[in-house]
This record gives sequence, C-alpha cells and structure tokens, in this order.
Amino acid sequence: MYQKIDQKIWVAGVYKNSSFQPTKFKWQDRELKITEVTLHSDFKDGQVKKRCYSVISGQEVYRLEFNRENETWYLREIWVD
Amino acid sequence: MKTTILHVDINSYFATILQQENPHLRHKPVGVIKDEGRTCLIATSKEAKQLGIGTGSNVYEAREIFPEIILIPASFDRYLDATKKLKKIFESISPDVYIYSLDEAFINISHCQKFIYPQAEQLGQQIQQKIKQELGSWVTANVGIGNNRLLAKIASEIAAKGSVLEINQDNLDGILASIEFKDVCGVGYQLTKKLQRLNVTHPYQLRFFTAEELGVLVGPFWANELLKIAYGQEPHLLTLLEKPSSHMKSIGRSITGFRLYDREDEIKSILFNLCSEVIDKTRKMKLAGRQITINLYGQNQAFHDHITLKYFIEHLDEMFIWVKKLYQHWNKDFKIIKFAIRLSLLEPNDQKPLLPSWHKQEKIQTALDKINAKYGLFTLHPASIMKQHLIRPEVTGFLGDRDYQLGN
Ligand SMILES: [Mg+2]
Repeated sequence: MYQKIDQKIWVAGVYKNSSFQPTKFKWQDRELKITEVTLHSDFKDGQVKKRCYSVISGQEVYRLEFNRENETWYLREIWVD
Repeated sequence: MKTTILHVDINSYFATILQQENPHLRHKPVGVIKDEGRTCLIATSKEAKQLGIGTGSNVYEAREIFPEIILIPASFDRYLDATKKLKKIFESISPDVYIYSLDEAFINISHCQKFIYPQAEQLGQQIQQKIKQELGSWVTANVGIGNNRLLAKIASEIAAKGSVLEINQDNLDGILASIEFKDVCGVGYQLTKKLQRLNVTHPYQLRFFTAEELGVLVGPFWANELLKIAYGQEPHLLTLLEKPSSHMKSIGRSITGFRLYDREDEIKSILFNLCSEVIDKTRKMKLAGRQITINLYGQNQAFHDHITLKYFIEHLDEMFIWVKKLYQHWNKDFKIIKFAIRLSLLEPNDQKPLLPSWHKQEKIQTALDKINAKYGLFTLHPASIMKQHLIRPEVTGFLGDRDYQLGN
C-alpha cells in the first residue's frame, strides 16, 4: 500500500525532448537517485497546475508532486509492500 | 468510399495504469477500489481476471479466491491525464475520433485510409506502439477493425489481449455464429435472457427469425436492431455517436457513504457538497438547468423526487434551496447509504434575467467561482459542513461528463 509522507523535497533533473526528467531528489538529508520515471500525470487542483511523477529509486516506488504555480516539490507517498 | 473504423480498448485500464506506475504490482492480481476502506472492486488487473476476479466483485469474494490480492485506491487524476494523452494519439491519426469511455475510442480512418493507411492492421499495431511510448511499456491495448462501429467493437472485444483483429467479409459470419451477446455492444443482460427463450445465444441465429417474430418478444425497436446485428450492420444506438449533441443535457453527481447516514446535519452537508460540484460543472460549461432531481438510497429502499422549474438556475444557493425542499418530501423512513443529485434540461445560459435578486446571486456565485478556481472546490463553504469529510470531484469510467473532463 501507499504510505502518506507529504514532505517537501529538493529535486534535480534534466530537460530532455522539451520535458523535465527528475534524476534525483533529497529527502530527510538523504539523496536518492532516480532510475526510472514510470508515469507522469498533469492535473489541476482548483486552478493550480500540478504534475506528479511516479519514480523508482533502488527498489522503492515514490510518488512525487510538483506544484507548477509556486514551483515546490513534495514527496507524497511511498509504496510499502 | 470504403468505411474503416478502428476501436481501441486499453486492457484492464484502471489496474494497468497503476501497474505501469508501480512495478511491484505487475504480474500480480490487483483490485482497484474507489477509496481506502471500500469493498467493491471497480476494476481488476488481467492477472486477477485470469483467476476469475472480475470488475464488480467484492473484496471478500476476491480474497476467497486469492487471499493475497493487492487492493489499491483508484487514481482518477492519473486516469484522466492518461486519457488525454490517448486522445492526442488518436487525434494525430484521424480528425474523426469519438472518445467512448476513459479507455475506449472509435477512430474513423475512412477519409484518410487510401492515402495514409492502406493497411489498417499495421496502423493498429502502430497505435499499440504509440500507446506504449506515451504511457509506458506495461500498457497494452486491443484494436478492433471493421467497416462499422459494431464490428470494430466486437473485434476488439474478442481479440486476444494486446492484439489486433479485423472483421471482414471472410470471417464475419463465422464470428457472428460463435460470439455471445455479452460481446455485442448494446445488447444487455435482460435482452440476452429473453433471446434464450428462443434458444438464440449467438447473433447469427437471429437471421432465422423475422422482424415480426422477434417483435413479439422484444418489441419492434429491438427486433429491428437485432436483425441489423445479425448481419453485422451498425445498430441505431451506435450510429447516434456520429451526431454528438452540442452540449450536455444533464449533470449529476452521486456518492456512496462509508456507513449509513441518518443525522440531518450530515445529510444536508453531503447534499450541499454534491450541489456545489454540480453547479461548478454547470457554470464551467456555461449552462443552466431547470430540472432538479434527488435520489436517496438505503440498503433496500430508495427515495426519488424531482421538480421542473419554469426558469433556469445556475447558482448554488438556488440549487440547494430546491434540493432541501425535495428532501423535505422524504419521510425519513430509512438510513441513507447513497446520495445523488442531478440538474437537467440544461441549455446555454446566454440570457440573463432582469431581476435584481438574480444579479445579486450572480455576484456572490462569481466570487465563489473565483475562489474555487484558485484554491480548489470546497474552499469556501458554510459552517454547517466544516466538520464533514469533503467529497472530491472525480472522473467516472464511462465518461458521461466527457466534454467537461476532456475539455482542456
Ligand atoms: Mg478496457
């Protein structure tokens, strides 16, 4: 199941083929390297545009969310078996 | 001109998208629930289906078959975004696309076939590839091809998972003689049962009856429809897709509770939330309606009432006043599990009444719209519903509100 985290994170990435690809993120003083973006989705929360990236780091699956209005990143959820 | 229609259908959509997102879920039986704590599986993965756990089963039945089944809440934002990506793929192939549900579409390539797509089957495979590129390699789709929508949809229905199948003159009769009515769009359970009385279980067998003979059993409309299906022709219901209505005729919203409700303040606040969403959608589509319907369901009972007004409404206050009036007609003889509200007889709201009270309401509503638009629905609400769990807008699988959801 997905476990709620809802904490702010730092994210680094590259622009590839005119779209952003997160490559690593920093959460609780740990730096996690992203090996794959499995899905990304745009959605609107009210009129606030957000984009969520589901990413893999090690064996773990993380749901990251980017608020395109104020340009902040959150770690929303982690998959725990 | 030869007509060629493709029907694309993503396999086990809701579960597949979640499996694409999370490799830990792949190759495993997964059940999608609406929300944490729910017991109805609104979708299941192909691995679950192979075990006999289909859409609509409940958690207890599923666990009896496979105790370790993984339950995941649906992720409607992800589904809707994926559907928008699918729509883009389809519209890059032909201008004539009808999005039939979140994961199904008809693509009419008749106008461009001769020059661009001489091989429909190859195009089907290209579409499957594009879907994988866009949504991920785990996402597979069936593509059905036919000279009308009925055959295209039957073809995708009976094709092996992830494959392309064309129905043409060579295989048409064989397919109509072997498929069952559950694979035929528009023929429901009741109709199928009636046909069993004539020992008809496959569409081809309908050819042995006249319209009169069938009419005795199913009435003249269905007799005609069934005879078209018998020969693989498009029934009226699918032909209607060609002429989409210029705007939606009604907007509704329903919610099933986690428990039974009988406290008036709770019931009213749920009704208010539903009204908020209905009005929000109505206004975003620049419509107004004049028929209001309420449905309340208990475990075995139901209450229904509606009112048709002589004027159009498009304000939350007004809608809620009428819903409360209709609610007063209920004699409160059962506890409620499901609530539904609908605003119908919608028309474009291009005429503004002259009444001062209307303009006052419009001002309030416009301010409310702005706040909702900026901060999300239900940012502002009366104190009475503050303590309630908020009902978030969601996307329905069959896309009754497709124009609204796919509009931007
Ligand atoms: Mg499907």
